[in-house]
Amino acid sequence: MKTDRDIRVLIADDQVMVRQGFTVLLGAEPGIEVVGQAVDGLDAVAQAAALAPDVVLMDIRMPELGGIEATRRITGAPDATAKVLVLTTFDLDEYVYEALRAGASGFLLKDASAADLAQAVRVVAAGDALLSPSITKRLISEFSRMTSAPRAPLKARVGSLTERETEVLSLVAQGLSNAEIAGRLFLAEQTVKTHVSRILVKLGLRDRTQAAVFAYETGLVRPASC
Amino acid sequence: MARDPMPRGQYLGRLPHLHLALLAALLGLLNANEAQRGRFGADTELGLLVIVLQTAVVLLAMVRPVPAWWLSTALLSASALIGEDTIDHGRVWPWNVAGISLHALVLFLLALRVRPQSAVVALGITVLSGMADTLLATQEHNQVVSRGAMAFVIAVVIGAARRSSRTAKERLVEQEVLTAEERARRTLLEERNRIARELHDVVAHHMSVISIQAQVAPHLVADPTPELRENLAGIRENAVEALAELRRVLGVLRAEDARADGVRHAPQPTLDRLDELVGKVRAAGPDVAVSVTGVRRALPPGVELSAFRIVQEALSNAMRHAPGASVEVGIGYGADSLTVRVVNSAPDGPVPPPRGAGHGLLGMRERASMLGGDLAVGPTPSGGYDVTAVLPVDPAEDTP
Repeated sequence: MKTDRDIRVLIADDQVMVRQGFTVLLGAEPGIEVVGQAVDGLDAVAQAAALAPDVVLMDIRMPELGGIEATRRITGAPDATAKVLVLTTFDLDEYVYEALRAGASGFLLKDASAADLAQAVRVVAAGDALLSPSITKRLISEFSRMTSAPRAPLKARVGSLTERETEVLSLVAQGLSNAEIAGRLFLAEQTVKTHVSRILVKLGLRDRTQAAVFAYETGLVRPASC
Repeated sequence: MARDPMPRGQYLGRLPHLHLALLAALLGLLNANEAQRGRFGADTELGLLVIVLQTAVVLLAMVRPVPAWWLSTALLSASALIGEDTIDHGRVWPWNVAGISLHALVLFLLALRVRPQSAVVALGITVLSGMADTLLATQEHNQVVSRGAMAFVIAVVIGAARRSSRTAKERLVEQEVLTAEERARRTLLEERNRIARELHDVVAHHMSVISIQAQVAPHLVADPTPELRENLAGIRENAVEALAELRRVLGVLRAEDARADGVRHAPQPTLDRLDELVGKVRAAGPDVAVSVTGVRRALPPGVELSAFRIVQEALSNAMRHAPGASVEVGIGYGADSLTVRVVNSAPDGPVPPPRGAGHGLLGMRERASMLGGDLAVGPTPSGGYDVTAVLPVDPAEDTP
């Protein structure tokens, strides 16, 4: 996608040590540029609007405005392009799941290695793969069971998909990459890509992660099937 | 028509005993009257003595039912056999109505106090003694053993029924006491769980920062030596391992009530957020004054968190139990301790009855004692309430 220029990153965390640390670590990576630091959720929303970053590294627990609500506002903005990568001290907890429901594209443990951090930023920016597919799938399937019955309007939208698109969506939800889906369905990878982007447009979703959340919440993919 | 309730005096509580004594005396008189009219044939004087004793035994049965029953049974036989050979054979025998009534009273009192099995045995012995009397009889009589036995059975059944309903009630009360104790213990454990969770949470966040800093450090020097890199990698590795353990512990701790916390997406609070807390409370009505004495400084996170939670809990208690009262919050930074004091004035309106009492105090006490501190709570002379916690702070432990 934006291979010709650096990935612009905004870091939002209330702890200065964390902000500076990630700035140093990401700054050392080729192709990634840290364009701003936000000290709380409100600041993150304002800076995301002003700087138009590609990726926002978002802490969940922040004063003023929590990271989940900030994620909702950033990804819910009318002309939003920023993808949110949630930073968490605890993996697989319900906050992370809530963040994904709020529009986050992926999540990462705060103590991840510098290499993992850079990799996560690149994957989220590119948007054509699920970040840490197996963990994400487990998280979504685990928590989607806890949420109440699927929302009716969501369910209605599944009907707008073609049979092939529904098939592709359920494979996306199981964490498969475009190439893997292509292999599974005997399609060209480019065709799969087209299917995925059409699915996202039809369902009004921003990326694969959201598509996975959608698939589990509507019951298109059963948690037991994983 | 409005009436006063029955007064519950010290002596009125004895009313049933008095009634019973009067009844026994009445039956005794009836019995004596019968004795005067030849109930004991030639032995009226001895018979009268037995009757007086039978009456007295009923009084004894209120205190000592078992010996009283033995005595009563013996006296019943005595009253049958005294002058047996000289009485008119048309009279009821071996027992007369007053004698049956007196012994039935004794049996009733016995059944009230002993296990039903014992009462039934006593009943059997009584009836057998009546039958034995008939074996000893020297002449034909107007037999009433079966009719008397009927009266005794009724007395025992009523007594045993009363006893079983009373013990059931007692067991219920016992159960309720147990449940209350169980609830208190559960509350304490829940509080401890919450405190443990918060502290582990604080530690985990510090560990995360350590792991990040250990990765960042090599970038901060121009030419990090291999030793430095290795060292920092070791620090990071340890931090990451510790985090993995912490996550496991927290997984256990938070499985209980993950959704119970009010402030979920905010970091664990410190005293820096006291103003925010007080502001929220003020918005809800009460007048809150805050005073800070001593040199304000950052304390270990555990102390800060506990102090914040104690103030929070005390404020919420004040709002709950003393509506309309004004509250003073005092934070005192001492050389080796932090003093937290929350005092509210007397409430200006009726106080809602306390519900789930002690939950808040329990948590505050746990937090203070966990840090080796003290919590003192109690009413003030002016009708308010005072919560004071003293949390020790090792001067060397202050975070810079």
